[in-house]
Amino acid sequence: MTLDTVRGMARDILEHQTADGVLGLAGDEDGVAPRVFDKADALAALVLEPKWVLAKIALSVLVQTPESYRLAVVCRGCDERALVELGKRHRLDPGRLHMIGVACSAAQAQRCLCRRPWPSRVDAGEKAAGADLSRSDLVRQYLGGERAVRLAKWQEVFSRCIKCYGCRNACPVCHCESCKLEDRVWTAPGEIAPDMLTFHLVRAMHVADACVACGACQEACPVGIPLMLLQLPLRNALQRSYQYDAGTEAERLSPLLANYIDAPAQEIALPDWTDSIEETSWDLIS
Amino acid sequence: MTACVTEKTIANRPQDGADPKILVFACRWCSGIGADEAGRQRLPMPAGFRCVPVECAAGVDPDVILKAFSAGAEGVAVLGCHLDGCRYNRANHAAAKRMALLTTLLETVGIGADRLLTSFGTAHEGHQFAALMRRFSQRIAALSALTCRVTKTDPVLGGWGDDA
Repeated sequence: MTLDTVRGMARDILEHQTADGVLGLAGDEDGVAPRVFDKADALAALVLEPKWVLAKIALSVLVQTPESYRLAVVCRGCDERALVELGKRHRLDPGRLHMIGVACSAAQAQRCLCRRPWPSRVDAGEKAAGADLSRSDLVRQYLGGERAVRLAKWQEVFSRCIKCYGCRNACPVCHCESCKLEDRVWTAPGEIAPDMLTFHLVRAMHVADACVACGACQEACPVGIPLMLLQLPLRNALQRSYQYDAGTEAERLSPLLANYIDAPAQEIALPDWTDSIEETSWDLIS
Repeated sequence: MTACVTEKTIANRPQDGADPKILVFACRWCSGIGADEAGRQRLPMPAGFRCVPVECAAGVDPDVILKAFSAGAEGVAVLGCHLDGCRYNRANHAAAKRMALLTTLLETVGIGADRLLTSFGTAHEGHQFAALMRRFSQRIAALSALTCRVTKTDPVLGGWGDDA
């Protein structure tokens, strides 16, 4: 049903030449892979499952095609948010994109631990409720508990890293020209597993205010490091302090770029001094 | 493959009475002056900290702080001007926001938010700087030692020499 709607919209787009190509997943007997459909006849191969983050592929298509090329993308919520973030950072021209919004099912949202499994405009599918993170065992395992327990847990999981750079390469919003993770000042060459602090936490900090929780890093990881859970408290902190959810507002830049006057933090009046030595209580999960 | 993390710093922790290693980034317009003055007045201060003067607290990249922890610092302090008194168009607001996010990350992985001290406009007098350093050093000393990885110098078998 949802699939038919998407195929119909894609056919319309190609027939009316609203866009020159439709980026989606193509499934045949060999499996599923992303493909740009430019003929309406080929759309019978278009599928929606499994979840595949297409934002990075859309970016590389736009980079390789001329300025006049317009691309329609079959977007899940996370794809759309990633494309919005890339647009904000001037990595692509949002005017060249046409989005076909697909809402994810509740089961998919629970698998992705996604709290917002729908794009801003839902063309196909039903808006399902987001996942309830506080009920997830995985979240509690990594983010609950005492400091020492968490440290041991994260160190154990990062010691499995084989430094394949999959998390960085898969991330749709990771976009520096030269990467610190390839610089010997930060990451010693030939050292496996890499240092937690200068490899994983630097990566987490770089995408902190752009992360759209698409889970591409985690899916790319061959040793199963739950990288989304590392990003979750950062996203929560931005949400709590600035009501900022990356990718949901195309006009609003990250509050980290502005001062407290232009982008005030919730419940904190401009203090004339701050001193983080005071005890604070931490709620990492919600 | 051997695990990359061992409890190295526990063994390396200075003997009783020595102060934990702390790296201080001090903005040169206020806490840098405070640090100078504290030194000139010979105020009692813990001996374990090293001060890096920076032009503005906003010049301190969170990555540098992570690198400092990785290199064995047990605490890092970023000291800037009053939030209303920055010389560079409220750049210290951006620093404050970034550091707040970094403390969240440090807390998440269990290193602990209180190993990173961010303070604005509390250290521009010598005695204020000395008092802040004493408090922070005591706070760090009370924490359990930070486990830290062993830097391996042997080449990793099967690894590429130039993969990074």
